[in-house]
Amino acid sequence: MSVFPSSEMAVKVFSSLFAVLLEDDDFVARARQEGLSVRLVHTKPDCEIFVAPQGLRIGEEQAGPAAITLRMSCDTAHALWMGQLMVPVAIATGRLRIRGKVAKVLELVPMLRPAFDRYPEIAAAAGIAA
Amino acid sequence: MNTALSESVSEAALNFDVLPNGVEQFREAAKEFARNVVKPRVQELDQKPAAHFDWDLVGHGHRVGLTRAAIPKEYGGLGVGMLGVATALEEVAAVCPGTALIFGATLLGQAPVLLSGDPRLQARFLPLFSGDEPVLACNAVTEEDAGCDLIVPSQAEHARNVTTARRDGDEYVLTGRKRFITNAKVAAFASVFANMAGSPGATGLTSFIVPLDLPGVVRGPVADKMGYRACLGSELEFHDVRVPAEYMIGAEGEGMAINMAQSNMARAAVAGISTGVARSALEQAIAWCGERVQGGRHLKDQQFTAAKLAGMAAKVDAARLLYLRAADKVDNELPPPVYEPAAAKLFADRTAIDVAETALSLLGARGYLRSYGVEKMMRDALGTRIYEGTPEVLALAVTDSLYAEKDEW
Repeated sequence: MSVFPSSEMAVKVFSSLFAVLLEDDDFVARARQEGLSVRLVHTKPDCEIFVAPQGLRIGEEQAGPAAITLRMSCDTAHALWMGQLMVPVAIATGRLRIRGKVAKVLELVPMLRPAFDRYPEIAAAAGIAA
Repeated sequence: MNTALSESVSEAALNFDVLPNGVEQFREAAKEFARNVVKPRVQELDQKPAAHFDWDLVGHGHRVGLTRAAIPKEYGGLGVGMLGVATALEEVAAVCPGTALIFGATLLGQAPVLLSGDPRLQARFLPLFSGDEPVLACNAVTEEDAGCDLIVPSQAEHARNVTTARRDGDEYVLTGRKRFITNAKVAAFASVFANMAGSPGATGLTSFIVPLDLPGVVRGPVADKMGYRACLGSELEFHDVRVPAEYMIGAEGEGMAINMAQSNMARAAVAGISTGVARSALEQAIAWCGERVQGGRHLKDQQFTAAKLAGMAAKVDAARLLYLRAADKVDNELPPPVYEPAAAKLFADRTAIDVAETALSLLGARGYLRSYGVEKMMRDALGTRIYEGTPEVLALAVTDSLYAEKDEW
């Protein structure tokens, strides 16, 4: 059973998480400079989020063309953000699949640090177990 | 055809002759390096004792960017991706595949650091490659009794590797011996795969970055090879080498997946090397058959020879198209795809052997002479099919892909 009981809960947690990134001036400046936009397709339960320097958009129909698309289950996302699953392992085992310029992806990962730092607190506040 | 459809077809048209700007510039720079620096030394490099290594040559390649092509720009690299690496290595391999492999093996050693997504690890190891002096890396997988079985997950349980790692406080202690490791003699660090002590076979395979100046590392004797003599293949021994825990890539027991991802990335570039060997042999054959007259006609105008030349040319083109597609996919997908790089390497390796053998035959006695260089291509072509997956292992990878469920996107 997924750690997320519903799509609504997944949207709530992950949109809060990416809002953290959009509050980070360095991230926004770098994302703008690199023309970085990210489409996150979560499954089980379904939850799709589009992140660009201009803001967040929720839902498949709201997602525009993105420089990078990430696809993973909500459980994988939870394990990644909690630091229980390492990025290279998630990628190498195919639990996290990515389309887009790999060079941009490699630049993106270190920029996600603020989100990694805040996720446990955001998940706990939403009642999501570690 | 209506206008809208016509426009969309036009936008979608493939262009097989134009590479992206940065990639094309890098390919041109690599071509100049190969022509001006490598070519004058190629016979000497081939005939020197096995342990001879030309650091001056490597320095020239380093200044072109061959040691840091795949490293992101923020860490001092060129950021030209696998497409840039593969096309550049085709140019270098067309003159000397052994030289190309010095840089290819370095990329392979860097790959786990690139895949790690760990900014501390990247900041520690990647800037090494953008200094004034050349720095090389290597990838240490193969052992006396284990090689391809470390690449095929279903064989992990039966793998006979003996290099082990055990956790001790904030460090891992590595013990064992690797064999046939390109650049081991000259690299600053190695990507090392070791099995967690107590795990059967390679089921506990774990990836580490190991600086080769750590106490307990011994660089063994250089192997005396049939070809690829410009680069050094040697043993690498680990006698209770203490590696900081933060130099582990991913997690304990996840080395098989890391190794596969790394190999899938690298195979497109190796296919570029094989294509370079084949292209060079083809060029020699074209030149010779265009000037040699027999029975009042050039060789190229004799049907039996023409058929050979046509077949060689088609194979070289096909090999190139396969590796370009593979490299482009590697640059745009994570995890790196299995099928395209494996199919590209499988085909390009065979092409290199077939084309070099045919060229050797068409040149007659000259093909057998060292001075013409075709016999060297034959020797080198036979080497390319071994590293980064033999034809037998690549066939398994390709066939597994044929039966695998397609990814949903």
